[in-house]
Amino acid sequence: MVEVNDVEMKETDGKEPTVTTAALSKEEKKDADLLTFDDIKEQVRTIEKAVTSKEPRYILRVLRALASTRKRLNEDVLRRLINFYYTSNASEREILLSYLHPAQPMDVDVSSTTTIATTTSGTLTSTAGGAVPSSRPQTSRTRAGSLPEVDLYIHLIVLLFLIDRNPSKSALECSKRLVEKTAVLNRRTIDLLAAKCYFYYARVFELNNKLEEIRPFLHSRLRTATLRNDFEGTAVLINLLLRNYLHYNLYSQAQKLVLKSVFPDHASNNEWARYLYYLGRIRAMQLEYTKAHQHLLTAIRKAPQQTAVGFRQNAQKFLVTVELLLGDIPDKATFKNPQLKRSLDPYYQLTLAVRAGNLARFKEVLDTFGDRFQQEKTWSLIIRLRHNVIKTGIKMISLSYAKISFVDIAQKLQLDSPEDAEYIISKAIRDGVIEASINHEKGYMQSREIVDVYTTREPMNAFHQRIEFCLKVHNEAVKAMRYPPKKYNEELETAQERREREQEELEYAKEMADDDDDF
Amino acid sequence: MVVCVSVWGQFHQKLKFFDETGPMTNSSADAKFGEALPLYEKLKNEWNRKPPNLEKCDELLRALKNVFAEGGFYPSDINEDSRGLHIARDTLEIGAQCAITMGDIPAFERSLAQLKPFYFDLENRLPESPYRYQLLGLNLLCLLSQNRLAEFHTELELLPPKDIQNNLYLKHPVSLEQYLMEGSYNKIFLAKGNVPSPLFTFFMDILLHTIRDEIAYCMEKSYTRIPFDEAGRILYLTKADELNQIAQKHGWQLQSNNSYHFGESQSKFDNEHVPADDIATQMIQYAREMEIII
Repeated sequence: MVEVNDVEMKETDGKEPTVTTAALSKEEKKDADLLTFDDIKEQVRTIEKAVTSKEPRYILRVLRALASTRKRLNEDVLRRLINFYYTSNASEREILLSYLHPAQPMDVDVSSTTTIATTTSGTLTSTAGGAVPSSRPQTSRTRAGSLPEVDLYIHLIVLLFLIDRNPSKSALECSKRLVEKTAVLNRRTIDLLAAKCYFYYARVFELNNKLEEIRPFLHSRLRTATLRNDFEGTAVLINLLLRNYLHYNLYSQAQKLVLKSVFPDHASNNEWARYLYYLGRIRAMQLEYTKAHQHLLTAIRKAPQQTAVGFRQNAQKFLVTVELLLGDIPDKATFKNPQLKRSLDPYYQLTLAVRAGNLARFKEVLDTFGDRFQQEKTWSLIIRLRHNVIKTGIKMISLSYAKISFVDIAQKLQLDSPEDAEYIISKAIRDGVIEASINHEKGYMQSREIVDVYTTREPMNAFHQRIEFCLKVHNEAVKAMRYPPKKYNEELETAQERREREQEELEYAKEMADDDDDF
Repeated sequence: MVVCVSVWGQFHQKLKFFDETGPMTNSSADAKFGEALPLYEKLKNEWNRKPPNLEKCDELLRALKNVFAEGGFYPSDINEDSRGLHIARDTLEIGAQCAITMGDIPAFERSLAQLKPFYFDLENRLPESPYRYQLLGLNLLCLLSQNRLAEFHTELELLPPKDIQNNLYLKHPVSLEQYLMEGSYNKIFLAKGNVPSPLFTFFMDILLHTIRDEIAYCMEKSYTRIPFDEAGRILYLTKADELNQIAQKHGWQLQSNNSYHFGESQSKFDNEHVPADDIATQMIQYAREMEIII
């Protein structure tokens, strides 16, 4: 899911800088760099605040901005940043700087370039120091540099930059070093940061096609995270493991992991969306289509609505397939959605074939898009659709004919022989697909009159399902609300206060809307 | 009995592990290998004889498994010795085939559970076994015959789609599953005639037995009347006795005109009475939720 997501991101990334660099003069680019630099400094300050006040919510805010920061990174900014914060820790500074120069293969070159880098960056720091208003004294900067959280954050940014540029060996080493740092620390304030670090660590290994190597590591970290009640870490690690297993089609292992672990309730919505998506895939593979449908639908609803196009595309592919397997026809509006239209096109063709109950057309779709389905891992689900196509065909025949011979049915459904048709019809009647009876001696099927749905319990059940869902949404909404501490014994607010509060809430809502960028 | 032995073997291995607090030394592994080799040769000879003496094979298998557990011939991170692994795999393969010949399904499943690491995780370290696909196909058929469809599909996912479409041993159970889902039961009966290996017949028989029951249920629901001879033909039964047995099991009565009559399906009348209980619980539940909200 992230794969596609990242590809999308990269596409936009690729376009934007070229446009901007073309449009902007060099002077303006420098200004943009300075702005980015100042932004990151602001983020670091927020992290400091989070550490001193022991309030992880601030770190959440920093991570939320990570996506927009990532888009603006470049080598100059990073070099300046590293030199700015690692004044006292020279060895770490050298290592981080060396990641930025992967082009030099020989040791001699590296050492020489790093000295150049340090000299040039030395001048850079002095200029940067001059540019920054003197309100930030040297002492607080060194203090920030010594905080492990800040170290992790900057290291993470460097890693992101390396991933975007070239996910090769240097990114691998960088990520390894990063997670080693998280392993030795035991501070609750790093939990959220560490979770992000794990995520990108796994991402680097995936890009290098080495996912299976990190499984033991993820398991051991998951154990630690669970013991420390680090819910974000647990959620991320469970998702990474599931992704890892599903990447190699190890469904039984994934299923066991789901059974044996508890996904934390407090995990962020995005992690929940991922988890439900993986769960939906596992369930679909095990023929539990109703559950799979539920999970996938919730996953799509929980995912951010504006961004994360790749995730929604992938989840929709599975959702459409599962819906077809359930015997439902997906909403046409899904396929018309401009963001999904192109990627869902093969599934649209598939839906048309199933809807028509046309086996020849179904085979045609399989032949044309087979490779693509295999790549998207929906192939094995789609070949199960064959009997749904037959079922739909039978349903249509039963609706349109009162009486029809097996020979004709076999011909219409393109079955091999009339005997085949007899067995298939017989099973369809038992499964409740059609209401009919078979006359064996004369070799025909007689349709029964259709029962009026409204005399059955069907409508009631349907309503019951919807009411249940609404009630559940309400209850979850109540649970998700956050109340300020000790508010209950305060005086009721005045009109003036209420206006202020509403204003504040409005701003907060705006901020929440930015949340989507985090995905 | 085999379980006992293998569990005891593992226990033994654990004890050893604690005693020595470290991986097996090279010399003791060699000694175990020397012990296993003659046993293995003996087993191979016994198994290749026509017909093999099953009891003797079983005995040898047990002894071998014990040696494996002690010598650490099973896959693990520390074990680099491929000779031991090779023998262990071949022995387990014989064990699996032996289990089928004896009709011991649990033993077969155990052998395959042990074989899977050899087939999937050690793919690159051992040369591919000639029995690999046959046994994996058998495993699929075994799951299918017991109607364990979820596991069937989980196993299927581990195999590359190309192999599934082209390999004779894998194609067979996969197409059977498709027929089963569609309801083309007659094709399954036909498939019995062209099994890729004689070992498949054992599970095919179980599968056919289950399918006959399925067909019988379908007949109840879809036919109003069926002559005795025709019923036998549909169920692919040649002997009247067997048909009578099935009829008895499903409670069919033979009418005077030598045919079975099935009453109008019951489902039509299910909707007639009001399910008061269900509705009441539902309504009370709604009322409770509303109460909470207000």
